[in-house]
Amino acid sequence: MTSEITIFVAKKIITMNPSNPEGTHIAVRDGRILGVGSLAEVAGWGEYTLDETFKDKVLLPGFVESHGHVGEGGLWAAGPYLGYFGRNSPDGSYVEGLKSTDTVIARLKALDAEISDPNTPLIGWGLDPLFFPEGTQLYANELDQVSATRPIFILHLSGHVASVNTALMQQAGINADMDVQGLVKDASGQLTGELQSQTTMALAKDVFLRMLGGVQSETAVVNFGKLANLAGHTTVAELGTAPIHNPDGFAVWQRLVNDPEFPVRVIPYYGAGNLGAPVKPEEVIPMVRAAQSKNTDKLYVNGIKIWIDGSNQGFTARVFWPGYYNGIENGLWYIPPEQFREVLKGYHKAGLNCHIHCNGSEATELLLDSVDAALREYAWLDHRHTAQHNQLVTPAQLRKMRNLGMCANFFTNHVYYYGDQHYDTVLGPERANQVNPCGAALREGVSFSLHSDPPVTSIGHLHTIWCAVNRVTASGRVLGEHEKIGVYEALKAATIDAAYQIHMDHKIGSLEIGKFADFAVLDESPLDVDPMAIKDIPVWGTVLGGLKFPAAK
Amino acid sequence: MGYGAGRIEIPGCKMTDRIPLTIIGGYLGAGKTTLLNHILRHNAGLRLAVIVNDFGDINIDAELIENQDGDTINLANGCICCSLAGGFVQALSALAEMEPPPAHILIEASGVADPHNLGQYGYMDRLQRNGVIVVADAETVQAKSMDKYVGQTVTRQLQGGDLILLNKIDLVDVDVLKDVRTWLQGLMPRARIVEADHGIVPLPILLGVFETDEPEGSVKSDHYPDDEYETWSFTSEQPLDGEAFRSMVEMLPEAIIRAKGILYLRENPKHRYIFQLVGKRWSLKAKQAWNDEQPASKLVMIGLPQCFNSTWLENKFYKMIGN
Repeated sequence: MTSEITIFVAKKIITMNPSNPEGTHIAVRDGRILGVGSLAEVAGWGEYTLDETFKDKVLLPGFVESHGHVGEGGLWAAGPYLGYFGRNSPDGSYVEGLKSTDTVIARLKALDAEISDPNTPLIGWGLDPLFFPEGTQLYANELDQVSATRPIFILHLSGHVASVNTALMQQAGINADMDVQGLVKDASGQLTGELQSQTTMALAKDVFLRMLGGVQSETAVVNFGKLANLAGHTTVAELGTAPIHNPDGFAVWQRLVNDPEFPVRVIPYYGAGNLGAPVKPEEVIPMVRAAQSKNTDKLYVNGIKIWIDGSNQGFTARVFWPGYYNGIENGLWYIPPEQFREVLKGYHKAGLNCHIHCNGSEATELLLDSVDAALREYAWLDHRHTAQHNQLVTPAQLRKMRNLGMCANFFTNHVYYYGDQHYDTVLGPERANQVNPCGAALREGVSFSLHSDPPVTSIGHLHTIWCAVNRVTASGRVLGEHEKIGVYEALKAATIDAAYQIHMDHKIGSLEIGKFADFAVLDESPLDVDPMAIKDIPVWGTVLGGLKFPAAK
Repeated sequence: MGYGAGRIEIPGCKMTDRIPLTIIGGYLGAGKTTLLNHILRHNAGLRLAVIVNDFGDINIDAELIENQDGDTINLANGCICCSLAGGFVQALSALAEMEPPPAHILIEASGVADPHNLGQYGYMDRLQRNGVIVVADAETVQAKSMDKYVGQTVTRQLQGGDLILLNKIDLVDVDVLKDVRTWLQGLMPRARIVEADHGIVPLPILLGVFETDEPEGSVKSDHYPDDEYETWSFTSEQPLDGEAFRSMVEMLPEAIIRAKGILYLRENPKHRYIFQLVGKRWSLKAKQAWNDEQPASKLVMIGLPQCFNSTWLENKFYKMIGN
């Protein structure tokens, strides 16, 4: 019994399979690829329908984001985006960046006018005063111009700071008497409305919980799928924030993602320690196995995510000597190193692929030591444990990673968004030029991917590829000429190598016979345009399992 | 004064409806979980709520468990033990909204968390920061503080504690213990250190003084010695000199671990003042007006055995009244 065959014709098909690199026609049956080549080469499987929708488009393997978070969709569910850089919204519209505090205030005034109930708080996100001229702040007295009565809460891009107005502080009982670090006061001891750190944001409990409600809503998951689709992604590894340990919450994911209308495959990784979730393998593995028993082609629970340290730009990553360029000695551990070694060993022994957040070089070192130790006790040649972010990895560490069979996943978007701060303040010139060293990984033979880490940056591999290829910062500086890679290598990182590190390269990541018919549909080939234009190539949408998913407009 | 078994109360002066919050911090292996297991078994009749870092480590006898509902265990003695699932804001809000509310909430910090930072949750609506206790393993803490990976983390934790619980003293000899104490005092001037074996510490030292609405008789000063801790209390309807009080607090011996009181001060006689001392940290703040109530100072201090010099204290207080 055979099902219907569709042959899609395209201007060009780039397979990312070096053995059969290009074609013009791709045949699909039962959601899987029968072949790529000329019409004559793929027409022999039987009667077919020729679909010409993409005859002027370029097809690539659907992009694979191997480090995403549902929060990308959740924040859009919680409130409007107010960031400096423009960003796709789930409905397909592009939200322009707000380049000054005046434009932020003007946007807030417009949003305030749209909410009829005077008590409903105005919640926004994505603000990052780091990008405004030095000394520019958005304090309560400015936000009070928007409303003296409606509580206003704006979460910064980092997720660790919020700006609030006086009405919110009055309602929440936040006052200048409170001896709370992170409750920022001015020289005269008055509250500024800046709440630094999670513990300080907790003072605005009601609004904070309201925001969290949006972030954890069903709409969050739906938006997450839409945003991935807009950028040409057909698979996203959800690293650590899907509620795998909460069967009721995860049942919602199973229902939403398995819906044939949902436009992307999701590969959740269990987040050990995320929001208090259990860390120990003996507790976690049964939960993961239970979730895996319901795995489908669409929602496939696959491994474990653990966080070792914080972020570079937040000065909370664990770095090697000589520490941060501005004199800060070192960052924070998010798990005791001894405990990390033990739990990694437990997951490794159970055959679970581990993706480990390690921004700083010292965090990477702990990971490498731990994988080395685990391998001495339990042989597993094909583990593909992956150093996530891994932004300050050294050449020596890359050589060790190669020997240990590990993968890297670089956060190349940082080169553009934070490259100037890294150069001037965080890392200094030498380390900034080597941040996210794709070139060194190629030289040392480490398999690597690229990621956007949404919602930290907007999901989209055309942007991560553009960063890896051009290494241009927001101010226009080239950060690390010798760490640039070619477009083909970057495409490989965004497709087949991303699939490899999540053990999915036998099903996705290239256009080959037998694999899922998952395509990114672009107007132009990234291999043919000016490298500086890659990020602006229009995305038609995707094909997932042979079905067309045009991006929202 | 009215004592519950193993708890100390200030009668007749419920100062606030806020629930006291205590953080139990310290590096991995210091003995935080053992301490919490002990507290849950010896709760002095108080309804204590504990947010544990690792639910799987809490080792409660089956006969003590009344029921378990997902991430919350209700104990037969009224205590509640819950996991952090969902995050601190959600977990603390849920506990604060319980009926009846817990008498005290404790958070077991993760082994690398900064307990001082977690203490700031004590300023959330309906909560009150009570204290930050850092548990240190007498045998290993000094070496850990020099570890290439975690030395800075361990040092920062210790410096952020109001009170250091020097645990596992049974594993070290007298000289080592003395050495560790000297080292801690060097790291943190005026550090308040309580020694413990298997995390066993009297509840009043850990959690301090509870406020009740129960009436009581008029007492001037009391000294209650005990094998494990002592208390000293003072009551007066005469206004006190605030400056003299503040300077007395600075001179208190380090073996006085906790104090709580409501004070009637001459500098602002219309308003009550709340005094609170946890280890090295203390505060004295003006609160609501006395209005029709008869103003009076009521103060309780708790310390290690033989820490109170009653004559010295009484002299200080009489001078505060006399000036």
